Amino acid sequence: MKLFLIARNTLKEAIRQKLFHFVVLLSIGLIVGSLFFREFNFGVSELKFIVDFGFGAMTFFGSMLAVVVTAQLFFNEIDSRTVQTLLSKPVHRAEFILGKFLGVLFVLLFFMALMAISLLAVLAFREASIYSRISEDIRPEGWIRYGDVVLFSVVQWVKLGVISALTLLIASFSRSNLYSVTMSFLLVIICHLQYLTLEGWSTASSWVVKGLLFFLSYLLPNFQIFNLGDWVASGEILPCSLVLKASAYGIVYWIGLSYLAVYSFSKREI
Amino acid sequence: MSIAVSIKNITKDYSLKLRGLKLRAVDGLSLEIPQGEIFGLLGPNGSGKSTTLKILLGLIKPTMGEVMVFNSRCSDVASRSRIGYLPESPNFYTYLTGEELVSFYAGICGVSQNKIKESVSAVISLVGLEEASDRRVGTYSKGMLQRIGLAQALVHDPDLIILDEPMAGVDPLGAIKITKVILKLKERGKTVLLCTHLLAHVEEICDRIAILDKGKLILEGSVESLLRETKEETFLVKGLPAEAEDELQQWLKSKGASLTTERRSSRNLEELFLEKIKNQTKGEEIG
Repeated sequence: MKLFLIARNTLKEAIRQKLFHFVVLLSIGLIVGSLFFREFNFGVSELKFIVDFGFGAMTFFGSMLAVVVTAQLFFNEIDSRTVQTLLSKPVHRAEFILGKFLGVLFVLLFFMALMAISLLAVLAFREASIYSRISEDIRPEGWIRYGDVVLFSVVQWVKLGVISALTLLIASFSRSNLYSVTMSFLLVIICHLQYLTLEGWSTASSWVVKGLLFFLSYLLPNFQIFNLGDWVASGEILPCSLVLKASAYGIVYWIGLSYLAVYSFSKREI
Repeated sequence: MSIAVSIKNITKDYSLKLRGLKLRAVDGLSLEIPQGEIFGLLGPNGSGKSTTLKILLGLIKPTMGEVMVFNSRCSDVASRSRIGYLPESPNFYTYLTGEELVSFYAGICGVSQNKIKESVSAVISLVGLEEASDRRVGTYSKGMLQRIGLAQALVHDPDLIILDEPMAGVDPLGAIKITKVILKLKERGKTVLLCTHLLAHVEEICDRIAILDKGKLILEGSVESLLRETKEETFLVKGLPAEAEDELQQWLKSKGASLTTERRSSRNLEELFLEKIKNQTKGEEIG
């Protein structure tokens, strides 16, 4: 109950932020802007280009939003000392951290839903206009799998949740918003390149290096697991097993990282 | 009388992260606040008042010692359901209206859904903010923020109310209103712990006080007994100088004058406070 109250309040605060409005408008603008590439008129390739472009906007701006909004919402409470009033009530620190996390998850869900709806609308519009110019006999079926676009958006939302949990963990012990944002962006980049540690692990000859790389490869999430955009853009069926695997992988990190954030915040003096 | 707050020998050290140096904010403080009292916690800036309050509210842990609130450890989250807290220079969620803010805290404190509306409107009317309750908190003046802060502290009907500088930024009329609220709380058997620099206000409403300096307790007792210690007899004589009471009365009689007023004169709390702080500093300099 308290957790949901804190989450609802976090959502209210986030959707009133100018940064959120800016990122949402910019992302929708980019997705809709991809329509202007129709001069190339590549037919199916054009639709694939729009999918790629839309997924890129979702992932890039979503990651930015996940880091900046999480850090800002956390430090707004610390800097304005509203956290003191809140924690002087019968509220566990875990409820505060998890409430914030849940609130940010709602914000990201709202963002991803808007992005997915915009992308689907642009794709449907463009597909209809291409269809109208092709005779029915040679018209191929199912150029774009709309269901897979939705599944991809869900998996990206799970990934953004992992980024948010990572940012919350850093914010829980950090003293400044700037440090949290910088460190989180750095970690997001490292997580995208995490597959290199796995490769290093398989090729390393020294057992010490092997052990270290093995440890690192499990400490930080591998963001390549969420990279399912190629399946959708190439028109192949996105396997459900991959979607489930990526979602479960992300949720395990949600739980692990938020547990660490709660532990770290419980040691913090306010 | 049962004890609302029991502070036993607490010490709080802050690490300065410089070669292991530590700053002692509270040094062996012990206090007991009986239920139903208005208790004033006084001290100059940096005396350890805020640290003591933070320990009491479970926001920080003492390095040593123990604090009990209504026989529960202050680290126990459940103990806070009986505490209402108004922070110094309160900041609240500026995007909420006054009513939404108090409702939010009511929900957080576990006020049942069917009672929230009633409790919120009762406390908002108690602090006199009915007309501004549907305005965003971000548009409130400092005095209004103090009053909405008081409302959120009282919405769950706590037994212990901790007020940190409740009069800061409040105009004289607002101050009178807050004073009335505090006295009303006492009438209802609530315990009030008041931290303020307005010593005249403390003298007016507090039953007992404690003065802290450099983290140590230097004086504690009832306001009346502490101020009576140096009371002197003062006579206001109309028209003639006073030398001795008997002689004066006789002399007055012989002169045809009369003694019109007899008043107990006392030093005020401000003088006592300054004297104690001065003595403490002197003692330390000599030591």
